[in-house]
Amino acid sequence: MIATVVLVLRFALSIALYVFLGWALWTLWRELDQQGKALADQKKPRISLRYKPEWGNDRVLSFQQTEIIIGRHAQCDVSLMDETLSAQHARITYHHRQWWLEDLNSTNGTSLNEHPLTTPTVIISDDEFKCGNVAFVIRIDTEETTSTQ
Amino acid sequence: MNRVIQSNLLRIATAFLLLQSIILTLAPAVKMRSLEADLRFSHWIALFVWGLLSFLIHRAIIKYLPDADPYLFPSAALLSGWGLLAIWRLDASNIGPRQALWFVVSLLILLLGLRLSSQLVFLRRYKYVLLAGALALVGLTLFFGTNPIGIGPKLWFGCCGLYFQPSEPLKLLLVAYLAAFLADRLALGGRMLATIMPAFIISNLAVLLLLFQRDLGTALIFMALYTIIIYLATGRRRAILVSVGFLALFGIAGYYFIGIVQARIDSWLHPWDDPVSGSYQIIQSLLAIANGGIEGRGSGLGSPGLIPVAGSDFIYAVIAEETGLFGTMGLLALFILIIGRGFRAALRAPDLFRRLFAAGITSYFGIQALLIVGGNIRLLPLTGVTLPFVSYGGSSLLVSYIGLLFLLHISNHLDEEPAPLQDHQPYLMVGGALMLGLFTAALTTGWWSVVRGPDLLTRVDNPRRMIEGQFVRRGALLDRSDTIITTTVGKIGELERSYKYPDLAPVIGYNHAKYGQAGLEASLDEYLRGLKGTSATSIWWNHLLYGMSPPGLDVRLTIDLYLQFRADEMMLGHSGAVVMMNAQTGEILVMSSHPTFNPNYLNEIGLNLASDPDQPLINRAAQGLYPTGSVVDPFAAALFGRQALTAEELSTLHESMGFLRPPQIQLQVAESLSRDELDHFHVSPLQMALASAALSNHGVIPAPNIASAVSVPVEGWVILPVPGTPAVAMQATPADEASSLFVEEGDNFWSHLGKASEGDTSATWFLAGTPGNWQGTPFVVVVLIEEDNERIAERIGRELIMDAMSP
Repeated sequence: MIATVVLVLRFALSIALYVFLGWALWTLWRELDQQGKALADQKKPRISLRYKPEWGNDRVLSFQQTEIIIGRHAQCDVSLMDETLSAQHARITYHHRQWWLEDLNSTNGTSLNEHPLTTPTVIISDDEFKCGNVAFVIRIDTEETTSTQ
Repeated sequence: MNRVIQSNLLRIATAFLLLQSIILTLAPAVKMRSLEADLRFSHWIALFVWGLLSFLIHRAIIKYLPDADPYLFPSAALLSGWGLLAIWRLDASNIGPRQALWFVVSLLILLLGLRLSSQLVFLRRYKYVLLAGALALVGLTLFFGTNPIGIGPKLWFGCCGLYFQPSEPLKLLLVAYLAAFLADRLALGGRMLATIMPAFIISNLAVLLLLFQRDLGTALIFMALYTIIIYLATGRRRAILVSVGFLALFGIAGYYFIGIVQARIDSWLHPWDDPVSGSYQIIQSLLAIANGGIEGRGSGLGSPGLIPVAGSDFIYAVIAEETGLFGTMGLLALFILIIGRGFRAALRAPDLFRRLFAAGITSYFGIQALLIVGGNIRLLPLTGVTLPFVSYGGSSLLVSYIGLLFLLHISNHLDEEPAPLQDHQPYLMVGGALMLGLFTAALTTGWWSVVRGPDLLTRVDNPRRMIEGQFVRRGALLDRSDTIITTTVGKIGELERSYKYPDLAPVIGYNHAKYGQAGLEASLDEYLRGLKGTSATSIWWNHLLYGMSPPGLDVRLTIDLYLQFRADEMMLGHSGAVVMMNAQTGEILVMSSHPTFNPNYLNEIGLNLASDPDQPLINRAAQGLYPTGSVVDPFAAALFGRQALTAEELSTLHESMGFLRPPQIQLQVAESLSRDELDHFHVSPLQMALASAALSNHGVIPAPNIASAVSVPVEGWVILPVPGTPAVAMQATPADEASSLFVEEGDNFWSHLGKASEGDTSATWFLAGTPGNWQGTPFVVVVLIEEDNERIAERIGRELIMDAMSP
């Protein structure tokens, strides 16, 4: 009799152990789920760059991604054949709900609104920056900035 | 949210430990199969202490580190509560309370540490001082060290009954040092080799010191941690390759030059070669895991105390025996959870120092768990390290909790942006490898407990079989009229075998904790232990409830105790054997072998028996082989009508009378000789009795039989099958005629006295049997005396056959 009671307790013990693990997994899954949703709902403000090439009209480039690399290398997001540009010249990234501009140790440097850029700096719409001799104007669409966090 | 997760997890952990404690309390009642047993209560102190401190820590984490990872502390608390109860269950008077005390100290330090937030800065700033201090302490153990159990490497400082192992905190400080050093240096750039060289030198110094101390497990962990942190910091796979190369080199060198390394590796590769000394621990560990099976025996219901140093090195096997594969899979999953959350905290850490430190601490938990669990299940060679949070060992528990404290602090900075990460691959690789390792450990545990388990448990060196003998009644052996020959006496927990008729010892054998089994006790073991003859459901249910076999079944032998007593009485003082059987059915009524011994005193005499020149352990009736000489005359008369035979005819006789094959019976018998060994042909008294039976049974050799029936539940006595089949040796008429030739004047039975000698040993045979025309039960008797003594052989034989024929 007592052995049967203990047998039931032994199974309850195993169940308790797996309830612990199950609960941990369940909360982890829910956290993952919520993070995924939050990220999916989070809309970053669209950024576009306007620059004037040597020949022809101004060009406007729009981006979906959160990291844009400007340089001479063919794999850069903005790849321009300008000898004043380094292979990887500057980077524009989105984090902390801001767009940031950062120089990537380029030879000819980057300047933002005529000031040389030394540290990653927050950029806003209508800022102008120059990579070597190439000048860009930033346009950020604030209308799409809806955050659901 | 964190608060809810953490408090719910702690609640479930409490429920788990509460159930564990109740089972542990009731365990003695289950073992004794009655509530009258001495129930265990002392471990509730441990549970209470655990509950109180866990609650305080929970509150402190919520208050001081509200964003800390909510999975880390409950997992660690569950592990150490589990370990604490397991250790208490092993030894409630010494190591259990000690571990509880260390648990209190560890959690109080954790409580204090949660309030202070500057330890990380402190560690980072004073890394050299701290590491040098710890190294110096470890160095000092070379001179002032001691070992709590008195033997083995002296790795501890002891005072006032408490011991501390400085190499434990050294692990954590090494991780802190490496993390701080690399975080500072890598930021400066420069050549990689030059950058890591100082750390390399310092780490090797530590490893050398530990090698010198013979603390090989810790040295191994150091090398692994060093490699992992370098790999994480630099992302160079080469670091791992170089380290594995070094390890292989050290391993091979160690195998040839350091005795303990060789012993460990040998007992890992070939454990079954040396199960009594070198591989004793690992085999006992595997037996414990096998005994746990899938569902486990229940807390307090296994016998994990059989493993040496169960509390520290083999706590995993203890847990495997009592909670089974279910429990160990859960335990490994808890470690996987801690590793996962630890690496998550590392990746989210706001600077490189904290990232490397968190990853290092987590790797320390993971590697140590993997090494010792792997050692317990023979996945890896055994290294004497502890299972973090679980094993017995104060220094290890304290350091594990200090590591956890740092992890909690590091995981608390969720509002800060994680530091940039060049390459996340190394973190994924290390974390993944550790988790995969633990997963493999779970699979291996399953292999031992489910696939190999049943086989392992039948090993004769499984001490659980003998423990079972103290708790489950072993079946009795009865004579043909149900008089007890051998039975089990005492109360549950102290049951022991009692041999009521000790003179039968060479035949009945013994069932002994140290000397194992012999004779009928061995050959009828499955019936006597209730594993044969009992329903499969009953066996399964008994195993599930008690982890033991069902109550044993009584076996009725064909022995007639009255005749047996007469034979033994007359054989007293002579060496030899007597066999008497029913010539028709082959039932053995008397099987006497002298000199004999008293199995009730096996504890005292056991060692001398094996070397006794008189060989009392040998059952001379079935295992003894004696020269035949003139004793075959009656068979010659029956087969050829004369007594002088050619060599070829003698060979035919041996074949016809069954001398060339060993009798099939539930006893160990001697191998028969082949027909080529004519010059010194030997037979056993049992073979001679079977041959004689042909003369009394119209030429048919019966199938011998000594165990006739078994008493099974519900149905009662069930006839046991006879192992052999009868064989026709000769025609009925010549058999009857030959037997009548040997009836002496005034006798109503045939008899024949034969002598044989070989070298300076001589044997006297006396055969007798009922004649062919006998109307009652036919009997034969064979007496063999290991001396030249016709008078005594004839007297014994005549008295016995006359007793049998006139009941």
